[in-house]
Amino acid sequence: MGYRLSTDAMNQVLAELGKQYAIYAPKCYPGGNTFSEVDCIRYGEVHTVEEIETERKSDYSFKELLLPFSETLFFFTENTIQEASVIEKDMVIFLRSCDLHAVRRLDEIYLRNGLPDFYYQRLREKVQFVLIGCPAAFDSCFCVDMGTNRSDNYDAAFELRGGQVYMAARHPQWEALLRQYGEPVEGFAPSYVTETPTRVSIPADLSPAVAKSTVWDEYDKRCIGCGRCNYACPTCTCFTMQDIYYTDNAKAGERRRVAASCMVDGFTDVAGGGSYRKKHGERMRFKVLHKVYDFKQRNGYQMCVGCGRCDDVCPEYISFSAILNKLEEAMQEVRGDGQQ
Amino acid sequence: MDINVKQVRKNAFRVTKTRGITASRIRIPGGHLDADLLPVIQRIAQEYGDGSIHLTVRQGVEIPGIRYEDMPQVNQLLQPLIDRMGINQEEPGTGYSSAGTRNISACIGNRVCPYGCYDTTAFAQRIEKAIFPHDLHFKIALTGCPNDCAKVRLHDFGIIGMTLPQYEKDRCVDCRACVKACAKKSVDALRTVNYKVERNHEKCIGCGECVINCPTRAWTRSQEQYYRLVLFGRTGKRNPRLAVDFIKWVDEESILKIIKNTYAYVQAHIDPNAPGGKEHIGYIVDRTGVQEYLKWALQDVNLPDCAEVSSPLYWSGLHY
Amino acid sequence: MTVSNEYLSHWAEIREVIPHTAIEYTFRMAYQGAVQPGQFFQVSIPKYGEAPISVSGIGEGTIDLTIRRVGRVTNEVFERYAGERLFLRGPYGIGFDVELYRGREVVIVAGGTGVSPVRPVIEHFYWHPELGRKVSLIAGFKSREDILFAEDFTRWQEQMDVILTVDNNNGDPDLRQGLVTEYIPALAIADPARAAAIVVGPPAMMRFSIQALLRRGIAEENIWVSYERKMCCGIGKCGHCKIDDVYVCLDGPVFNYTRAKDLAD
Ligand code: SF4
Ligand code: SF4
Ligand code: FES
Repeated sequence: MGYRLSTDAMNQVLAELGKQYAIYAPKCYPGGNTFSEVDCIRYGEVHTVEEIETERKSDYSFKELLLPFSETLFFFTENTIQEASVIEKDMVIFLRSCDLHAVRRLDEIYLRNGLPDFYYQRLREKVQFVLIGCPAAFDSCFCVDMGTNRSDNYDAAFELRGGQVYMAARHPQWEALLRQYGEPVEGFAPSYVTETPTRVSIPADLSPAVAKSTVWDEYDKRCIGCGRCNYACPTCTCFTMQDIYYTDNAKAGERRRVAASCMVDGFTDVAGGGSYRKKHGERMRFKVLHKVYDFKQRNGYQMCVGCGRCDDVCPEYISFSAILNKLEEAMQEVRGDGQQ
Repeated sequence: MDINVKQVRKNAFRVTKTRGITASRIRIPGGHLDADLLPVIQRIAQEYGDGSIHLTVRQGVEIPGIRYEDMPQVNQLLQPLIDRMGINQEEPGTGYSSAGTRNISACIGNRVCPYGCYDTTAFAQRIEKAIFPHDLHFKIALTGCPNDCAKVRLHDFGIIGMTLPQYEKDRCVDCRACVKACAKKSVDALRTVNYKVERNHEKCIGCGECVINCPTRAWTRSQEQYYRLVLFGRTGKRNPRLAVDFIKWVDEESILKIIKNTYAYVQAHIDPNAPGGKEHIGYIVDRTGVQEYLKWALQDVNLPDCAEVSSPLYWSGLHY
Repeated sequence: MTVSNEYLSHWAEIREVIPHTAIEYTFRMAYQGAVQPGQFFQVSIPKYGEAPISVSGIGEGTIDLTIRRVGRVTNEVFERYAGERLFLRGPYGIGFDVELYRGREVVIVAGGTGVSPVRPVIEHFYWHPELGRKVSLIAGFKSREDILFAEDFTRWQEQMDVILTVDNNNGDPDLRQGLVTEYIPALAIADPARAAAIVVGPPAMMRFSIQALLRRGIAEENIWVSYERKMCCGIGKCGHCKIDDVYVCLDGPVFNYTRAKDLAD
């Protein structure tokens, strides 16, 4: 059952939910972006529906709520180790369909690939997801081609239509709240896009042999290895450990993990001083194949969810979707049927 | 031909080397103008001038080849330019009410440039509103960031945009892009300590390279816009010199007030016999001493807490 | 469901410290539990952080960890001796299955610190000669000063064909000179089709050694390699060790060459 609510009524629902949950949604940080007086849309705690940014795509994804950019794992002294505490409240996260699909990718790595991750798991268990209906795609989106434009596995759905809030909830307590503050509407289902301005097609026979193609070469020069594409991506989850010794007590410290990028120098450095994938083109190939080939080899479905954030954020105007569309030609090149 | 050249000049027309011929000097504060005003300039140039225009070094437009007797008609035609750019005027249809205080120039600023820390044009227009018309010979220029593309250090008042970098350490992933950028492109004010970044506030010039290069938004810009105000640079014959730092991390309000205070100071101290009524502020300050100037300049100015006032102020440059 | 926190390390006592070179020491640690040759531990090195260290020896209630001093910061750990402790977690990864080599000729080619992960395999056959047929070991180091486990080499020589080579032996009669690959063609291998080979070392050394072994008629499926990567989590999360669709920490570090040969960095 769907419900229609005024924004005031929705704010009361949020206030009620706020007693149990910390509510996170894409939010506008005025002037908070790279360049002066440019807003940044990213995840933050919200208390009212007005704070939820529904018009613009978020520059950074929800992933930082489950995998913070910098997270303390534990504190240590010479003899003891003490686990860092976790936030007390449960969490509600508002996100779009592509991002809800990204959650599955995070779970795949953090709960299933090898032993489960304690820190991820303890946050993940606290989260309820509210799907934000997506009536239209943004310019760089290609969710339809990645099969992530629709989601049904939400805890609640949310959409603003003509200044009114439409909600549906699977959670009985939430349903009760909506019944209290809103009026029932028949047949509400969150919108999803069926067409995107950007299209991609990935060759069915894509294989690691594509590494030999010359398509990667241009990125040796074009890509500056800044990592923005990875940090903005909802499915990139690599990290690096750091041990910190307090300056006032060198015997005590903490171990943190911080988000890492396979595009940035140092990612593959080994103890003896060696490193792998020195060229930016090689890193690009590694990233692209991970997103649209080898994650699938391992887990049966594509990693990239087609949100297009990496395209939006790249300072060098390198388009990930454009690279995907070059893969067919690259395969022709390595198959040797390009010359025929 | 009987012409009051003092009035001609005050009205923003030039006494040119060709007898009988003047040139109209159009103010464009901040150097930005709506393109639909170009036909106005074109019409004046074609109907009353010689069909050409000159883009001035201060970002104005000068229309040469105008006959003195056509000044009233030209002034009529200038009206939409004056109105649309919000230039204060004594009487509509009479052209510019003075020319001593020069056009306020600015680089393109944050409307276009990624490095710009603020809207240089808008600030230029606000200064224009606050001080124009005025006969005193003041040159003011604004630049969006410490690159100083507008060469504001050659002006009486140079305004350089700054941002006070805000660091959210929990978003920092130790990629060191900021540290490298600051070292290579700016003043090397950043250091990594325990995998997080420390900013040397004394060294920092507020250019924003750290913010521009940060891939995670650990660095962001301050909500407040700050400036470095530099004073009394000049070109010219006797002692060309660069402006010196006056206040770092100063706000817009204070800058406006200091400029207005400086007008009062100059009016009180200018050499009454200065040729053409022009005496560069710097020479007046040389005469009265900096302390006297500062007394006037900082009167009723409420600087932000973070403002740093340089002292003593010392100018060098070439002496001929 | 709460899962256990795999990132928490456990104290292990340092039983003995065995210096090899100026910068490489072996720490013999108290350890109870099953460990396979070729597996690695995440070792917390004070002032440096965690590092993946492969097991270089497996004893009764002990494991050996051979650690390279990394800059000045790790001096502290090198000054620790018996009775002191280190934080460990692991073992992780898939190592060498010595059962696969039972009754076969085994050729081991190791370069530099690559000797560490294969040392437990060598020791296995040293102490159980009845389980192997014949072990040939070619180990290469930059110079005499860089040789790890020098005494072990002397001991191993009693039972195995050992070729110990350095880039330049300066006339030292105990050492050969040149790259490990140079000694592969002349190696005595009675039954190449059934022989097994293990290759561990820097990437170029591994590539050329494998080519030389293949030329000797050793089959691809009888060659094993161990990869050194910057393992950060050891449990398939951090991504640092990934090559193509393989996580070296989960699927390796030991790989059969039929799998390894297609991996492109
Ligand atoms: S592709 Fe673009 S965003 Fe990604 S590392 Fe290269 S330059 Fe940075
Ligand atoms: S690779 Fe790009 S499009 Fe795909 S999920 Fe990541 S940011 Fe989105
Ligand atoms: S070491 Fe972290 S994924 Fe393998």
